[in-house]
Amino acid sequence: MGCGAPLPADQTAKAPPATGSSAPKTAAERGFTGVFLPTGTLEEPAGFAQWPNTPWPKSPPFTPAGAAESQRLNDHGNFTACAPGGPVFHMWEVGLFPIQLLEAPGQLVIQREASGLVRRIYLDGRAHPPDDEIVATWNGHSVGTWDGDVLVVDTVGTNGRARAANGVGSNAKPSSLDSDPRFPVSDALHLVERFRLVANNELLEDEMTIEDPKYYTEKVVLKHYFQRRPDIDMLEYFCGDNPRRD
Amino acid sequence: MRAPLHLPLVLAVLATTSTALAHHSFAVFDRTKKVTLTGTVKDFQWTNPHTWIQVVIADDKGNATEWGVECGSPNMMARTGWKKTSLKAGDRVTAVVNPLLDGRPNGSLVTITLADGTVLGPGDAPPPKPLGAQ
Repeated sequence: MGCGAPLPADQTAKAPPATGSSAPKTAAERGFTGVFLPTGTLEEPAGFAQWPNTPWPKSPPFTPAGAAESQRLNDHGNFTACAPGGPVFHMWEVGLFPIQLLEAPGQLVIQREASGLVRRIYLDGRAHPPDDEIVATWNGHSVGTWDGDVLVVDTVGTNGRARAANGVGSNAKPSSLDSDPRFPVSDALHLVERFRLVANNELLEDEMTIEDPKYYTEKVVLKHYFQRRPDIDMLEYFCGDNPRRD
Repeated sequence: MRAPLHLPLVLAVLATTSTALAHHSFAVFDRTKKVTLTGTVKDFQWTNPHTWIQVVIADDKGNATEWGVECGSPNMMARTGWKKTSLKAGDRVTAVVNPLLDGRPNGSLVTITLADGTVLGPGDAPPPKPLGAQ
Protein backbone atom coordinates (compact mmCIF):
# COMPACT_ATOMS: atom_id res chain seq x y z
CA MET A 1 0.00 0.00 0.00
CA GLY A 2 1.53 3.26 -1.07
CA CYS A 3 1.93 6.46 0.86
CA GLY A 4 -1.38 8.27 1.24
CA ALA A 5 -3.48 5.29 0.26
CA PRO A 6 -6.54 5.01 2.45
CA LEU A 7 -6.41 2.41 5.15
CA PRO A 8 -9.23 -0.08 5.62
CA ALA A 9 -11.70 0.92 8.27
CA ASP A 10 -10.21 -1.31 10.97
CA GLN A 11 -7.42 -3.66 10.03
CA THR A 12 -7.42 -5.27 13.44
CA ALA A 13 -11.07 -6.13 13.40
CA LYS A 14 -11.26 -9.03 11.00
CA ALA A 15 -12.88 -12.04 12.60
CA PRO A 16 -10.19 -14.47 13.71
CA PRO A 17 -10.55 -18.16 13.14
CA ALA A 18 -12.48 -19.91 15.86
CA THR A 19 -10.13 -20.99 18.62
CA GLY A 20 -10.17 -24.09 20.76
CA SER A 21 -8.50 -24.94 23.99
CA SER A 22 -5.30 -23.16 22.97
CA ALA A 23 -6.96 -19.75 23.03
CA PRO A 24 -4.45 -16.92 23.26
CA LYS A 25 -4.42 -14.70 26.27
CA THR A 26 -5.04 -11.18 25.10
CA ALA A 27 -8.50 -9.87 24.37
CA ALA A 28 -7.37 -8.91 20.87
CA GLU A 29 -6.03 -12.38 20.16
CA ARG A 30 -9.31 -13.80 21.38
CA GLY A 31 -11.15 -11.60 18.89
CA PHE A 32 -12.68 -9.34 21.51
CA THR A 33 -11.56 -6.08 19.90
CA GLY A 34 -12.93 -4.15 16.96
CA VAL A 35 -16.03 -2.25 15.92
CA PHE A 36 -19.38 -3.89 16.56
CA LEU A 37 -22.91 -2.75 15.83
CA PRO A 38 -25.71 -3.61 18.26
CA THR A 39 -28.17 -5.92 16.57
CA GLY A 40 -31.85 -5.19 16.25
CA THR A 41 -33.94 -2.28 15.09
CA LEU A 42 -37.10 -0.74 16.42
CA GLU A 43 -39.02 -2.80 13.90
CA GLU A 44 -37.21 -5.99 14.82
CA PRO A 45 -35.59 -5.44 18.19
CA ALA A 46 -34.72 -9.11 18.51
CA GLY A 47 -32.12 -8.82 15.76
CA PHE A 48 -30.97 -12.03 14.14
CA ALA A 49 -33.47 -14.84 14.55
CA GLN A 50 -30.81 -17.38 15.48
CA TRP A 51 -29.34 -15.07 18.11
CA PRO A 52 -32.22 -12.98 19.42
CA ASN A 53 -31.85 -10.16 21.90
CA THR A 54 -33.81 -10.90 25.05
CA PRO A 55 -36.63 -8.42 25.56
CA TRP A 56 -36.98 -6.68 28.87
CA PRO A 57 -39.88 -8.20 30.78
CA LYS A 58 -43.21 -6.58 29.98
CA SER A 59 -43.81 -6.26 33.70
CA PRO A 60 -40.40 -5.70 35.25
CA PRO A 61 -40.06 -6.92 38.85
CA PHE A 62 -39.92 -3.41 40.21
CA THR A 63 -39.70 -2.61 43.87
CA PRO A 64 -42.00 0.29 44.82
CA ALA A 65 -39.00 2.62 44.49
CA GLY A 66 -38.14 1.17 41.09
CA ALA A 67 -41.69 1.54 39.86
CA ALA A 68 -41.81 5.12 41.08
CA GLU A 69 -38.53 5.97 39.35
CA SER A 70 -39.69 4.32 36.13
CA GLN A 71 -42.89 6.33 36.25
CA ARG A 72 -41.03 9.53 37.04
CA LEU A 73 -38.80 9.03 34.01
CA ASN A 74 -41.81 8.64 31.74
CA ASP A 75 -42.21 12.39 32.14
CA HIS A 76 -39.79 13.59 29.54
CA GLY A 77 -38.94 16.66 31.52
CA ASN A 78 -37.49 14.52 34.27
CA PHE A 79 -34.36 13.28 32.64
CA THR A 80 -31.32 14.94 31.16
CA ALA A 81 -31.44 14.20 27.47
CA CYS A 82 -27.69 14.03 27.02
CA ALA A 83 -26.94 12.17 30.23
CA PRO A 84 -24.74 9.10 29.80
CA GLY A 85 -26.60 5.84 29.81
CA GLY A 86 -24.53 3.93 32.34
CA PRO A 87 -23.35 0.37 31.78
CA VAL A 88 -26.78 -1.05 31.06
CA PHE A 89 -27.90 1.48 28.47
CA HIS A 90 -24.33 1.53 27.13
CA MET A 91 -24.81 -2.08 26.10
CA TRP A 92 -28.51 -1.88 25.41
CA GLU A 93 -29.43 -0.08 22.27
CA VAL A 94 -30.64 -1.14 18.88
CA GLY A 95 -28.23 -0.74 16.00
CA LEU A 96 -28.01 3.00 15.57
CA PHE A 97 -24.54 3.67 16.90
CA PRO A 98 -21.56 1.29 16.91
CA ILE A 99 -19.36 0.38 19.84
CA GLN A 100 -15.63 -0.22 19.75
CA LEU A 101 -13.65 -2.55 21.97
CA LEU A 102 -10.05 -1.45 22.42
CA GLU A 103 -7.39 -3.20 24.46
CA ALA A 104 -4.57 -1.66 26.43
CA PRO A 105 -2.29 -3.59 28.77
CA GLY A 106 -4.44 -4.86 31.60
CA GLN A 107 -7.68 -3.36 30.41
CA LEU A 108 -10.37 -3.55 27.80
CA VAL A 109 -12.19 -0.36 26.88
CA ILE A 110 -15.67 -0.27 25.41
CA GLN A 111 -16.61 2.96 23.75
CA ARG A 112 -20.13 3.59 22.59
CA GLU A 113 -20.18 6.13 19.78
CA ALA A 114 -23.12 8.08 21.17
CA SER A 115 -21.46 8.61 24.52
CA GLY A 116 -18.54 10.68 25.58
CA LEU A 117 -17.70 8.15 28.26
CA VAL A 118 -16.10 4.75 27.97
CA ARG A 119 -16.43 1.58 30.01
CA ARG A 120 -13.00 0.63 31.30
CA ILE A 121 -12.74 -3.02 32.29
CA TYR A 122 -9.66 -3.94 34.29
CA LEU A 123 -8.24 -7.33 33.34
CA ASP A 124 -5.17 -7.20 35.58
CA GLY A 125 -6.65 -9.20 38.42
CA ARG A 126 -7.56 -6.29 40.67
CA ALA A 127 -10.69 -6.25 42.79
CA HIS A 128 -13.18 -3.42 43.15
CA PRO A 129 -12.16 -0.75 45.64
CA PRO A 130 -13.80 -1.00 49.06
CA ASP A 131 -17.32 0.44 49.16
CA ASP A 132 -16.23 3.49 51.11
CA GLU A 133 -13.41 4.26 48.70
CA ILE A 134 -15.12 3.71 45.37
CA VAL A 135 -15.84 6.82 43.34
CA ALA A 136 -19.35 6.50 42.01
CA THR A 137 -19.45 7.20 38.28
CA TRP A 138 -21.88 6.91 35.39
CA ASN A 139 -20.41 3.65 34.11
CA GLY A 140 -19.14 2.33 37.44
CA HIS A 141 -16.05 0.27 38.19
CA SER A 142 -15.58 -2.88 36.12
CA VAL A 143 -13.22 -5.80 36.51
CA GLY A 144 -13.00 -8.74 34.14
CA THR A 145 -11.77 -12.31 34.32
CA TRP A 146 -11.64 -15.05 31.73
CA ASP A 147 -13.74 -18.16 32.20
CA GLY A 148 -12.43 -20.19 29.29
CA ASP A 149 -13.50 -18.27 26.22
CA VAL A 150 -15.98 -16.18 28.19
CA LEU A 151 -15.08 -12.77 29.57
CA VAL A 152 -16.88 -12.24 32.88
CA VAL A 153 -17.23 -8.58 33.79
CA ASP A 154 -18.36 -7.43 37.21
CA THR A 155 -19.50 -3.83 37.62
CA VAL A 156 -20.40 -1.84 40.74
CA GLY A 157 -20.03 1.78 41.77
CA THR A 158 -22.50 3.45 39.45
CA ASN A 159 -24.01 6.76 40.47
CA GLY A 160 -27.65 5.82 39.87
CA ARG A 161 -28.28 8.88 37.71
CA ALA A 162 -27.70 7.33 34.30
CA ARG A 163 -30.29 7.72 31.61
CA ALA A 164 -32.59 4.73 31.77
CA ALA A 165 -33.12 2.30 28.96
CA ASN A 166 -36.66 2.49 27.68
CA GLY A 167 -38.81 0.19 25.62
CA VAL A 168 -36.78 0.80 22.50
CA GLY A 169 -34.57 -2.16 21.77
CA SER A 170 -36.57 -4.43 23.98
CA ASN A 171 -40.14 -5.36 23.33
CA ALA A 172 -41.54 -2.03 22.31
CA LYS A 173 -43.62 -1.31 19.26
CA PRO A 174 -43.47 2.09 17.65
CA SER A 175 -46.95 2.99 18.78
CA SER A 176 -46.02 2.37 22.37
CA LEU A 177 -42.59 3.90 22.25
CA ASP A 178 -43.30 6.22 25.09
CA SER A 179 -45.70 4.10 27.09
CA ASP A 180 -43.38 1.17 27.78
CA PRO A 181 -41.68 1.38 31.13
CA ARG A 182 -38.30 2.91 31.60
CA PHE A 183 -35.75 0.58 33.13
CA PRO A 184 -33.76 2.62 35.61
CA VAL A 185 -30.90 1.24 37.68
CA SER A 186 -29.85 2.69 41.00
CA ASP A 187 -26.52 3.24 42.70
CA ALA A 188 -26.97 -0.25 44.18
CA LEU A 189 -26.53 -1.84 40.76
CA HIS A 190 -24.40 -4.95 40.59
CA LEU A 191 -24.04 -5.91 36.96
CA VAL A 192 -22.45 -9.19 35.91
CA GLU A 193 -21.86 -9.73 32.22
CA ARG A 194 -20.67 -12.79 30.37
CA PHE A 195 -19.23 -11.86 26.98
CA ARG A 196 -18.55 -14.52 24.37
CA LEU A 197 -18.13 -14.71 20.61
CA VAL A 198 -20.67 -16.76 18.71
CA ALA A 199 -21.77 -17.24 15.09
CA ASN A 200 -18.25 -18.01 13.88
CA ASN A 201 -16.94 -15.11 15.93
CA GLU A 202 -19.12 -12.59 14.08
CA LEU A 203 -21.38 -11.83 17.03
CA LEU A 204 -20.43 -10.65 20.48
CA GLU A 205 -22.94 -11.88 23.03
CA ASP A 206 -23.41 -9.94 26.25
CA GLU A 207 -25.43 -11.81 28.84
CA MET A 208 -26.29 -9.25 31.49
CA THR A 209 -27.43 -10.16 34.96
CA ILE A 210 -28.83 -7.02 36.52
CA GLU A 211 -28.99 -7.13 40.29
CA ASP A 212 -30.37 -3.99 41.86
CA PRO A 213 -32.22 -4.52 45.14
CA LYS A 214 -33.30 -0.88 45.32
CA TYR A 215 -35.27 -1.03 42.07
CA TYR A 216 -35.85 -4.74 41.31
CA THR A 217 -37.08 -7.54 43.54
CA GLU A 218 -35.18 -10.16 41.58
CA LYS A 219 -32.37 -10.40 39.09
CA VAL A 220 -33.10 -9.52 35.47
CA VAL A 221 -31.12 -11.52 32.92
CA LEU A 222 -30.88 -10.23 29.36
CA LYS A 223 -28.83 -11.15 26.33
CA HIS A 224 -27.85 -8.59 23.76
CA TYR A 225 -25.83 -9.14 20.61
CA PHE A 226 -23.37 -7.01 18.65
CA GLN A 227 -22.33 -7.76 15.08
CA ARG A 228 -18.71 -7.32 14.08
CA ARG A 229 -18.64 -4.51 11.52
CA PRO A 230 -15.09 -3.70 10.35
CA ASP A 231 -16.65 -1.68 7.55
CA ILE A 232 -17.83 0.98 10.00
CA ASP A 233 -15.56 3.72 11.32
CA MET A 234 -16.35 5.12 14.73
CA LEU A 235 -17.10 8.83 14.64
CA GLU A 236 -17.06 11.54 17.26
CA TYR A 237 -20.30 12.41 18.98
CA PHE A 238 -20.74 15.30 21.39
CA CYS A 239 -24.35 15.34 22.43
CA GLY A 240 -24.30 18.86 23.81
CA ASP A 241 -23.31 20.49 20.53
CA ASN A 242 -26.76 21.74 19.61
CA PRO A 243 -29.16 20.99 22.45
CA ARG A 244 -32.28 22.42 20.88
CA ARG A 245 -35.43 21.35 22.60
CA ASP A 246 -37.94 22.83 20.22
CA MET B 1 -41.52 -9.57 11.30
CA ARG B 2 -44.34 -7.13 11.58
CA ALA B 3 -46.71 -6.53 8.75
CA PRO B 4 -45.01 -4.64 5.92
CA LEU B 5 -45.02 -0.90 6.26
CA HIS B 6 -44.67 1.54 3.44
CA LEU B 7 -41.31 3.23 3.21
CA PRO B 8 -42.13 6.73 4.45
CA LEU B 9 -43.66 5.30 7.59
CA VAL B 10 -40.65 3.10 8.17
CA LEU B 11 -38.39 6.09 7.81
CA ALA B 12 -40.57 8.05 10.16
CA VAL B 13 -40.36 5.28 12.71
CA LEU B 14 -36.61 5.11 12.38
CA ALA B 15 -36.36 8.84 12.89
CA THR B 16 -38.45 8.42 15.98
CA THR B 17 -36.17 5.70 17.25
CA SER B 18 -33.05 7.72 16.75
CA THR B 19 -34.28 10.72 18.57
CA ALA B 20 -35.91 8.84 21.38
CA LEU B 21 -32.65 7.11 22.10
CA ALA B 22 -30.18 9.83 21.55
CA HIS B 23 -31.91 12.94 22.72
CA HIS B 24 -35.35 14.01 23.79
CA SER B 25 -38.53 12.10 23.19
CA PHE B 26 -40.30 12.29 19.87
CA ALA B 27 -43.62 11.77 21.58
CA VAL B 28 -44.13 15.46 20.87
CA PHE B 29 -44.56 14.68 17.18
CA ASP B 30 -47.70 13.33 15.56
CA ARG B 31 -46.39 10.24 13.86
CA THR B 32 -49.74 9.55 12.25
CA LYS B 33 -49.65 12.81 10.30
CA LYS B 34 -47.41 13.95 7.49
CA VAL B 35 -47.00 17.50 6.27
CA THR B 36 -45.32 18.33 2.98
CA LEU B 37 -43.20 21.45 3.09
CA THR B 38 -41.93 23.03 -0.11
CA GLY B 39 -39.70 25.98 0.51
CA THR B 40 -36.24 27.44 0.75
CA VAL B 41 -33.51 26.33 3.10
CA LYS B 42 -32.51 29.11 5.47
CA ASP B 43 -30.02 27.16 7.57
CA PHE B 44 -28.60 23.63 7.74
CA GLN B 45 -27.31 22.79 11.21
CA TRP B 46 -25.09 19.73 10.79
CA THR B 47 -24.83 19.11 14.53
CA ASN B 48 -25.18 16.56 17.30
CA PRO B 49 -27.24 15.22 18.78
CA HIS B 50 -29.46 16.09 15.84
CA THR B 51 -29.22 17.87 12.56
CA TRP B 52 -31.75 20.62 11.87
CA ILE B 53 -32.96 22.11 8.63
CA GLN B 54 -34.61 25.51 8.80
CA VAL B 55 -36.99 25.87 5.88
CA VAL B 56 -38.96 29.00 4.97
CA ILE B 57 -42.38 28.35 3.46
CA ALA B 58 -44.46 31.01 1.71
CA ASP B 59 -48.25 30.71 1.57
CA ASP B 60 -50.59 31.96 -1.16
CA LYS B 61 -50.67 35.41 0.40
CA GLY B 62 -46.94 35.73 0.56
CA ASN B 63 -46.70 35.15 4.29
CA ALA B 64 -43.53 33.35 5.24
CA THR B 65 -43.31 30.71 7.95
CA GLU B 66 -40.07 29.20 9.13
CA TRP B 67 -40.17 25.50 9.98
CA GLY B 68 -37.61 23.60 11.99
CA VAL B 69 -37.04 20.10 10.63
CA GLU B 70 -35.24 17.66 12.89
CA CYS B 71 -33.14 14.79 11.52
CA GLY B 72 -30.78 12.17 12.93
CA SER B 73 -27.21 12.76 14.04
CA PRO B 74 -24.56 13.61 11.43
CA ASN B 75 -22.96 10.23 12.17
CA MET B 76 -26.10 8.34 11.25
CA MET B 77 -26.86 10.62 8.32
CA ALA B 78 -23.36 10.27 6.88
CA ARG B 79 -23.79 6.50 6.91
CA THR B 80 -27.05 6.76 5.01
CA GLY B 81 -26.17 9.02 2.12
CA TRP B 82 -26.00 12.50 3.61
CA LYS B 83 -23.08 14.91 3.39
CA LYS B 84 -22.51 18.21 5.13
CA THR B 85 -22.85 19.71 1.67
CA SER B 86 -26.17 18.02 0.88
CA LEU B 87 -27.98 21.26 1.70
CA LYS B 88 -27.11 24.93 1.80
CA ALA B 89 -28.98 28.14 2.38
CA GLY B 90 -31.08 29.06 -0.63
CA ASP B 91 -31.73 25.51 -1.82
CA ARG B 92 -35.31 24.71 -2.81
CA VAL B 93 -36.47 21.52 -1.16
CA THR B 94 -39.59 19.49 -0.46
CA ALA B 95 -39.63 17.88 2.96
CA VAL B 96 -42.19 15.48 4.37
CA VAL B 97 -42.35 15.73 8.15
CA ASN B 98 -44.29 14.46 11.13
CA PRO B 99 -45.45 17.74 12.68
CA LEU B 100 -45.45 18.71 16.33
CA LEU B 101 -48.62 17.84 18.19
CA ASP B 102 -48.91 21.36 19.58
CA GLY B 103 -49.15 22.98 16.16
CA ARG B 104 -45.91 24.94 16.17
CA PRO B 105 -44.04 24.86 12.82
CA ASN B 106 -41.62 22.09 13.63
CA GLY B 107 -41.39 18.53 12.42
CA SER B 108 -39.46 15.30 12.36
CA LEU B 109 -38.08 14.56 8.91
CA VAL B 110 -39.51 11.60 7.02
CA THR B 111 -38.05 12.25 3.58
CA ILE B 112 -36.61 15.22 1.79
CA THR B 113 -36.23 15.85 -1.91
CA LEU B 114 -33.22 17.99 -2.70
CA ALA B 115 -32.99 20.49 -5.53
CA ASP B 116 -31.30 17.91 -7.77
CA GLY B 117 -34.04 15.37 -7.16
CA THR B 118 -32.10 13.27 -4.65
CA VAL B 119 -34.37 11.81 -1.98
CA LEU B 120 -32.90 11.26 1.48
CA GLY B 121 -34.28 9.93 4.73
CA PRO B 122 -33.84 11.29 8.24
CA GLY B 123 -30.60 9.46 9.00
CA ASP B 124 -30.78 6.26 10.94
CA ALA B 125 -28.98 2.94 11.41
CA PRO B 126 -26.08 1.93 9.17
CA PRO B 127 -27.07 -0.34 6.30
CA PRO B 128 -27.51 -3.84 7.73
CA LYS B 129 -25.42 -6.86 6.81
CA PRO B 130 -26.68 -10.41 7.00
CA LEU B 131 -24.73 -12.85 9.12
CA GLY B 132 -21.85 -14.45 7.26
CA ALA B 133 -21.75 -11.78 4.55
CA GLN B 134 -18.40 -10.31 5.49
